[in-house]
Formats: sequence, structure tokens, C-alpha cells
Amino acid sequence: MKSFELDLDTYSQQNSKKITKKILFYLCLVVGIFTSVYFIIILDTDWHRIGSGGEIIKQLSYFIGLDFSLIKHLIIPAFETFLMACLGTALGLFLSLPVAWLGAKNVTPLGMLSFGFARFLMTISRSIHEIIWALIFVGAVGLGALPGILALAFRSVGFISKIISEAIEEADKKPIEAIRAAGGSGFDIMYYGIIPQILPTVIGTIIFEWDINIRRSAIMGLVGAGGLGLAFFRQMHMSNYPGVTTVIMFIFLLVMIGEIFSNYYRKKII
Amino acid sequence: MKEIYQNSTSKKFINIFLFFLLIYLSFIYLGIDFERFFSAFGSFGSIIVNRYYPADIEYILDPGYLHSILNSIQMAYVGLVLGVIIASILSYFAAINITPSKNIAYPIGKFFIIFSRSIHETIWTILFVTIIGFGMLAGVMALTMYCIGFFGKLFTEQLENVNMKLVETIRSNGANEFQVFIFGVWPQVKTSFTGILIYTWDVCFRASTIIGFFGAGGMGWYLKRNVLQLEYARVASIVLSIVALVILSEILSAFMRNKIQKETQ
Repeated sequence: MKSFELDLDTYSQQNSKKITKKILFYLCLVVGIFTSVYFIIILDTDWHRIGSGGEIIKQLSYFIGLDFSLIKHLIIPAFETFLMACLGTALGLFLSLPVAWLGAKNVTPLGMLSFGFARFLMTISRSIHEIIWALIFVGAVGLGALPGILALAFRSVGFISKIISEAIEEADKKPIEAIRAAGGSGFDIMYYGIIPQILPTVIGTIIFEWDINIRRSAIMGLVGAGGLGLAFFRQMHMSNYPGVTTVIMFIFLLVMIGEIFSNYYRKKII
Repeated sequence: MKEIYQNSTSKKFINIFLFFLLIYLSFIYLGIDFERFFSAFGSFGSIIVNRYYPADIEYILDPGYLHSILNSIQMAYVGLVLGVIIASILSYFAAINITPSKNIAYPIGKFFIIFSRSIHETIWTILFVTIIGFGMLAGVMALTMYCIGFFGKLFTEQLENVNMKLVETIRSNGANEFQVFIFGVWPQVKTSFTGILIYTWDVCFRASTIIGFFGAGGMGWYLKRNVLQLEYARVASIVLSIVALVILSEILSAFMRNKIQKETQ
């Protein structure tokens, strides 16, 4: 009986400790919100510049309306944006194949060394924003669509190669063993054993990444890489606000088309 | 048997050929010559080595820059909280199986989520900066829109996969819409809600490091200043600090996710 009481005691003590920990955690979160809001609203915001609520509405009302004369100048940039997304995804796929091969635990050639290197490349590619990639490539190869394509490709490598290497790791080992037992080389194992198994996943991932890349390629023009972003940038600098709305509507349309297409095909594959 | 095999390989060959032809044509359309394309990787390597390589680490230890890191984190945090609150309501509207009204609320919720998702966060930033001026408030609003799109889409999918039998049972016992949500829907999506929340934090923080580039406060502003001044060593160190912070936040969120998974089991 005594031991039971002791157990109950320690249990309730542990439980109350857990609850206090939880309360402290939530308290930290709430305090974090209040200090952040204090910093943003009171210390950093220039209320004089914003003015009254009426002025904000006045600013907003500039954006209402569409500039129809702009539409015929937007079709070519929209097509350019679309092509940039396609080529960026294709190049990203080519670049991510070796990275995925190095980053899959069961096929990586040099053990921990190459595996760690591939993981490092994936993390770098994912954690640098596409704007920074575009800035670096505009510096390297000059203006135009090419830096946009390269930036999208380098940004896509992280995601595509991570998914592909996970698919390789999860691939069924029996066909691979069978090919190896029949005397197949490393290439044969890759081509006949692994690729047929991972192909549906890879195609699904590529279509998904292509869909995201359309969204990204629409902003590449902001740092000098052509497409709809450049048109947006120009309209913004000319203070032609209805034109800005028109460009945004165009981007929205393009992204919607991409999303519908990608949803349809991914459902078809799965 | 042999014929079929040959047929399929020739088909494959034609497909691959068409794929490369399309790439070739679009390169010509965009006016990129192949010499420039293939030399791009070499010049990328050479500018990394020549311009960016000795990163100016002292610059990112400057108190002004450290303060801007704090500002970025604050923007991401407030944007996340606001965005998740709004997105939860919108995805409640936009989930077709539990939406309060199919004719009014459903299209509104769906449209807002899709619209804020399809516009990139940098465009949101530029728009809000023109409306309310430079500073962190514009960044918070842009991140809010971004989080609405991102969180809303994922959470709507979770809500649409809810087991409707439990919800119907509670509704048939005479519960109102609010009670149905609290007792029928919420317990089913609680775990995935926190999972998506942590994922959104990762993405939102990554976005918050860059939106300052277009005038919204935080680290991006330092980045823009140094890009315009062609101080490549400083740009390199800022990029390195962004990578380090993103990796740190990813480790933290992986830790949180593991802990939550352990608690729910």
C-alpha cells in the first residue's frame, strides 16, 4: 500500500512538473508575441507616414481597375516566364540526379563522406532564397532569361534530389538483388532495378516543382532576369497602378493554369 | 515479343528526342546561345571564388545587423500568428465537407487561399510597401498573406480528410456549428495542425529573411544595401548567416516535431 502511495506521489509530481513546463512554454510564446508587436507597431512603424485610415483606403483605391492597353504587351513576357519555369525545372532535374545518387544511403559510393556532401548541397540549395540565387547568377552571366533559369534550377535541386534519394532508399531490394545475382553491373542495377521503381514518384515531384517554379519565375524579373516580373517592376516604377493590377492578374492566371494542369496530371499518375 | 520491345524502345527514343528538341527550340526563342549557357557554370564558380570567397565575417557581428536578425524573427513570428489565425477561419470555410454554407463561404475561402498563394511573397511585400510605407509592418502583412496561402492550402486538405461519421453523430445529437467544430473536427486535426504550423514557421522564416530586400525591414535590407554597393564579401557573409539561421530553425523544428510525436503516442 505504501509503495503504491509513493508511486502516485511521484507520478503526480512529474505530471505537475510537465504541466508547469507546458504553461511556461506557452507563456514564452505569448510574451514573444507582445514584445514583437510592441517592436513593430510602436518602435518601427512611422504612423505619420501612414496617416489616417482614409488615406490607406485612398492608396488602395489607386490599384482598382485594369489597364487593358497593357494586355497585348504581357503575352510575350508571360510565355517567357512559362518557358523559364519549364527549362529551370528540367535543368534542376539534370543537376539533381547526381546529387540524389550521392545522397541515397544504399547506393552512395563513398559512404558517409559523399552522403554528407550531398546532404550539404541539398540544404544549401533549399535555404538560399531564389532572389539571392538570381542575384548571384545575374552577376555571373548577365541579364536576360538565362540567370532566371539557372536560379530556378539551383533552387529546385534541394527539393527534387531529396525526394528522389528518399525514393531510392525506399526502393524494393529484391529486383536489385536479382539483377546483381544475374551478373548486372552498377549501371544495369540503376537502369533496370531502381529507375522503374522510382519513376512515378520522380514524375510527380517534377510536376509539383514545376508548378512552384511558375510562381517563382514570375518574380525573377525584379532582380533583372526577364519575364512577367520585369513588367511588374516597370509598371510599379511608372506608378501605373492599374497596370500593376493587370500584371498581378496575369500572374494569377498563369499560376492557376499551372496548378490545374499539375493537379490533373498528378492524379492521373497516382 | 521482340517487336513489342523494339517498338517501346523506339517510342522512348522519339520521346527523348522530342524533349531535347523542345529544349533546343525554347533556348533559341529566349535568345540564349549555348556557349553562354555552358560557360555559365564556369563563370559561376569563378565569381564565387573571386568576388564572394573571403566572406567578411566581422560585418555580421555588427550590433546593427544582429538587431536586424531579431527584427526578421519578430516579423516572421507575428506574420505566422496572424496568418494562421486568418487561415484557420478561411480553411474552415474552404473545406467542402464542413463549410457553413456551400454557396457563399466556400467560394470566398477557396478564392482567398488560392489568390494569396499564387502571388509570390516578394510581390506582396512590394504592394504593401507602396500602400503603408517602408518598415516591418509591411513585412508582417506580406508574411501574413504568404502564411494564409501556405497554411490554408495544407490545412484545408487535412480538414477535407476528416472522418465525417463522428461529425455527423455530434450534429445529429443537436450540437451547433461551433460545438461540432470543437468536439468533432478539432480533435481529429489537432496533430496535423501543429505539424503544419511548424512547417509553416520554417517556410515563413525563410521568406522573412529576404522580404527586406524590397523595403520591409530585417536582414534583407542589409542585403540590398550591400548588393547595391557591390560589397561582395559582405553579401557572402550575409548569405552565410541566412543559411546558418535557416539550418538552426530547421533543427529546432525537427526537435519540436519529434517531441510532439512522442507526446501524442
